[in-house]
Amino acid sequence: MCDITKEMVYDAISTVIDPEVGFNLVEMGLIYDAIIDEKCNVHVVMTLSTQGCPLHQMITTWVKEAVERIEGVGEVEVEVVWEPAWNISMAHDNVKKALAGM
Amino acid sequence: MKAVSSDFAPPLKLISPFFSTGVVFYLLAMGALLFFAPDFTYAQTDVAGWVHLFLLGFVMMIIFGAMAQLIPVVLETGHAVVDVYYVIFPLLLVGVAGMVAGFWLMPALLPYGGLLVLVAMIIFAVENIATLKKTTIRTLTVDTVAWSNGYLLLGILTGFAIALGLSGDLAVNVGLMLKAHVYAVVGGYVVLTIIGLSLILIPMFSLAHGFDEKPIRIAFKLVVAGVGVVFFGALFGVEWLMYLGYAVNTVGILFYLWQIWLIAKLTVRKELDIWAKSMIFAFGSLILSIVLGVLFFLSGKNNLLHASVWFLLMGFIASMITGHLYKIVPFLVWFERFAPLVGKKKVPMLHEMYSKEGASMMFWFTAAGVVLGGAGLLVVNDTLFKAGASFLFMGAVFLFVTMRKMLAYGK
Repeated sequence: MCDITKEMVYDAISTVIDPEVGFNLVEMGLIYDAIIDEKCNVHVVMTLSTQGCPLHQMITTWVKEAVERIEGVGEVEVEVVWEPAWNISMAHDNVKKALAGM
Repeated sequence: MKAVSSDFAPPLKLISPFFSTGVVFYLLAMGALLFFAPDFTYAQTDVAGWVHLFLLGFVMMIIFGAMAQLIPVVLETGHAVVDVYYVIFPLLLVGVAGMVAGFWLMPALLPYGGLLVLVAMIIFAVENIATLKKTTIRTLTVDTVAWSNGYLLLGILTGFAIALGLSGDLAVNVGLMLKAHVYAVVGGYVVLTIIGLSLILIPMFSLAHGFDEKPIRIAFKLVVAGVGVVFFGALFGVEWLMYLGYAVNTVGILFYLWQIWLIAKLTVRKELDIWAKSMIFAFGSLILSIVLGVLFFLSGKNNLLHASVWFLLMGFIASMITGHLYKIVPFLVWFERFAPLVGKKKVPMLHEMYSKEGASMMFWFTAAGVVLGGAGLLVVNDTLFKAGASFLFMGAVFLFVTMRKMLAYGK
């Protein structure tokens, strides 16, 4: 039985900040899911704010490393998907307010 | 899956000389404007010297450096031989210096400078084409890279033919060949490259999503066709063909502006940073350039043509470049010096890596300079033109200083 929760994974990923916009990936709404199996292997499903982002590989590496810092975690996989495409409505309210004045 | 480019990113030491030198050439070009009058002809060699200083020394130098970084992003594959950029840089640097000195001071230097630039551009275009062959994707931006490099090669060949024509080694109509050369390089390479990269960079920095791409696809086809029509019209001296090409290109640029409008409507980031201000000014200048260009064709008055070209070069192309420098250079420096430290210590945000005040001064001095200088050309007033040149020079000083600080950040 694994005691790592989705919330713990999201907390770990929230230490990763997009240097262009200055917000972390969780509040940007870029993390779609974190699937944790009984052996504590974590599969993160995420997107990026734009395709062709030159930081693509680096960001996925940072996410992997951040999750790997959770005590007791097994294998960590990060999958980048483009469907559904990210849009500002997926971001947290503070991001919407800061970026778009919404 | 959309592939990743950071593995293919060239080192900062390869790219930064293009940017730092391009900005120095820009500073020199703005300083040189102080010695020009608003009533000139394109046949003057000092004008040709300035145009080459600006277009080769600043525009092409920066574009070459930017493409070293952006080609892997756009084509989703590594460069065929990225190290050729170490050769391209000194060739272009010495070639531009030789050409400008040739136009301004010592005509004997012109063919040597031209030859070095020719070799630099051939290497650049061939490397781009070799990289294109490696890519498996087919997007509009990939197509623009292919077509723009094709036109660059045609521009190089016509430039070489002009040099041979001027030295008496080749019997060509230099005036017509010059039109073909300018159109192939400015319209075929610079404008097509800007159109292609706009589709990647503008939505990326503005966080715009879900827009229709039909207008830019039409714009691309019209500009490719229009440049070709003008090029061959000029090459064979068929005037009506050239006018047809001008019309097709104008419609193409209008479709491009429509696309930019669609992207702007869906822009998420509302902050008016230096990049956003520069984009607004650039596209405003492009619209003004088109209006003045149409008025020139209706009236035949040269001052309208001069002002139209001014707003195209100084307002649109230069602002597109300088605005993007404040995004691209901090990213490159951050990627090289701070990305490895993420998760280990606090790293700066990209917008913290340049002086907002310095960038703002650059923008306002430049914008005032473009407007005043353009007005000076329009009403053929030397005082207005010189005032514009003075503002532009001050803007260039701020660009130079902020660029140096950006490149030195975290060193």
